[in-house]
Amino acid sequence: MTGRETMSSFKLGLSILWAACWTALPIKMAFAMLFMAMGTIHLETKLGITFLMLLMSPVSVFAFFLITLVTGFHFGEGAGLPLLFLVSIPIDMWSLGLVARTVFLERLRLEPPDSLGVGLWVRFALAGALYLPLLWVIESGATDLARSITKSILDLDMLKALPVAERIGLEFTAWGSVSLLVLLALTYIGLTILGKLVEGKTAGAQPASDTYQALIWRWDMFRVPTDQSLMLTAFTGAGAVMSVLFWMVLPVSTPHPHECCKPAAVTVAPPFDPQKSLTKGEKAFKDAEVKIAALEQKTAEEEKEKPKGGKDKAGVKDGAAKGDSKTPPPAAVKPAGSK
Amino acid sequence: MDTTTQPTTTQPSAIEKVFAFVDERVGLKTLQAKMLNEPVPGGSRWAYVFGSVLLFIFIMQAVTGILLMFYYVPTADHAYASTQYIIHTVDYGWFLLSYHFWGSTAMVVCVFAHMSQVFLWGAYKKPRELIWLVGLALFGIVMGFGFTGYLLPWDQRAYWATTVGVEIMDKTPLLGDFMARFLKGGATPGQMTLSRFFVIHVMVLPAALMGLAGLHLFLFRKAGPAGPFRGSVEEIKAKTDYFFPRQIWKDIVGMVAVFLCICSLAFWEPIVLLEEATPDPGDYHPEPEWYFLFLFQLLRLKVFAGEFGQFLGAIALPGAFMALLAALPFIDRDPERNIFKRPIALISWIVVMASILIFTVAAIINREFLE
Repeated sequence: MTGRETMSSFKLGLSILWAACWTALPIKMAFAMLFMAMGTIHLETKLGITFLMLLMSPVSVFAFFLITLVTGFHFGEGAGLPLLFLVSIPIDMWSLGLVARTVFLERLRLEPPDSLGVGLWVRFALAGALYLPLLWVIESGATDLARSITKSILDLDMLKALPVAERIGLEFTAWGSVSLLVLLALTYIGLTILGKLVEGKTAGAQPASDTYQALIWRWDMFRVPTDQSLMLTAFTGAGAVMSVLFWMVLPVSTPHPHECCKPAAVTVAPPFDPQKSLTKGEKAFKDAEVKIAALEQKTAEEEKEKPKGGKDKAGVKDGAAKGDSKTPPPAAVKPAGSK
Repeated sequence: MDTTTQPTTTQPSAIEKVFAFVDERVGLKTLQAKMLNEPVPGGSRWAYVFGSVLLFIFIMQAVTGILLMFYYVPTADHAYASTQYIIHTVDYGWFLLSYHFWGSTAMVVCVFAHMSQVFLWGAYKKPRELIWLVGLALFGIVMGFGFTGYLLPWDQRAYWATTVGVEIMDKTPLLGDFMARFLKGGATPGQMTLSRFFVIHVMVLPAALMGLAGLHLFLFRKAGPAGPFRGSVEEIKAKTDYFFPRQIWKDIVGMVAVFLCICSLAFWEPIVLLEEATPDPGDYHPEPEWYFLFLFQLLRLKVFAGEFGQFLGAIALPGAFMALLAALPFIDRDPERNIFKRPIALISWIVVMASILIFTVAAIINREFLE
């Protein structure tokens, strides 16, 4: 189709938002990963929703905080999340501008007005702040209602004999279909609202007079920087800085040690020190020598006191002493290594 | 002062000299022209990035896999301990292993996306039947990577998922018994099973994938890109562009986005092992990897109970589905490629995707009933 397209509000909103989201996402993801590596974002189990919020940040930038405040829904913790949305603002403005100018030229054959990206971002962000929390509440309510109705139907006596696997499949299909239909209807309304906001910009735009080939050339050239070498250098530089930053902040060991699977604590034996071991050995021997000397002295004193006792007793003792005389006195046994 | 202009001769730089030297011998310029100057009918598109992204993921899987092999020991005695060592002790080991794990998931997702794009675009039709068939074989190899790689950490999840998988394989007529015995190498999974899975994972499948991916690319370049399924001849001609630079730029952005997604998942949900594998499941309920969950849940249905039912659900139905996919270019001979003018194809795709989604989520909900 090379003629001017007549687009519905829904189609117009979709064609701009869809392409703008994917255009901006890779850049936002780089920041998201950097913040995660720095430990400033701690996502909970709602990664899918958070990813969607990031993807849709032109409309979710204010709605994100309103939903958190109003419904108490917890996406995660850390200063990184609001910072990420802050960083996303200029990126979204740029991508919305790029995509919208392309749609104006290629599909609508209109000259894009000035500051289209900023203008659309402000309108989308305000509309999102009002509409997304409403969508959230309606969708949650519809899902809860559908789940409770499905559960009560499946609890009927005639359906109680249903096996578990079949029951789960039926239950999920039933409430999931209702939930999906409501979500699709609300998304349709939301995109139509965004399309209407874009139409506000198209109303005052002048028709483009160039040929189709010339228009393609124009919107194609939006994507080619004027100074390609500078752009390439800037991209390479930014990539290099991000990579260095990433490896600097990346934790060396796992930041999520699991309680059940922690490795057993290993007690490392101290390294062998020969000098210390020798000193310790010598000290032990010296202590032993002192103790032996004390024992010898004590024995000698006892021996001196013995003759004062009965002669018979002494005779028996002498005999015993004679028999033991072959054994050298303890002091004579010197341990090897002792001085 | 002499104002006459002198002809200036610029000397080639060192890089240009090296390039000229290699070009003279291998024809680099011709190769470069062939690689980059491929016309893309209707111009570059984001929908075409999945093939390049898959190639990128495979290269990254190979790189991370080789780095992991420096520490991993493929023996029943040490597989678990060496994996724990990688996670807890090796510098950045947790990140490498988690990246490798989530990379396999990304590969499956991108294969599904690529196949869906080819199906919806009608790009399997004449003269691209062989590209589709080789693509199906590549799909099987990616699934094989997931199945064989799952056992390697040698924890309870790995052990029992493999046991269940091999038992399902056992139900295949004629070949099933041989395949199950060959893979297990014994009555129960043990050292022989681990060795065989390891060799298949790091030697057989990568070689097969490289060969078939090369053939896939060759056939693709031979037939040329199919282009968009709608738009006038004038419009497609006006937008037609070469592969370089716009499609390459989109491919690079796609690769960066996937790389960032995998890294984010590695951060958000780093891999954590269960208890070491034992022949006693204890409290653990065996379960395959998420992309096989739909099939696992399907087998829980009463209609697939019993020996014949299990064969029907595990072998006959998936086998028939794959056979149908293989025969698709020969059954669907209508040259119409616009998906909105092929209602049977569109409805079939929606039904298959919805069924996979419903059964996968049902399997996750089913966990609560087991606990």
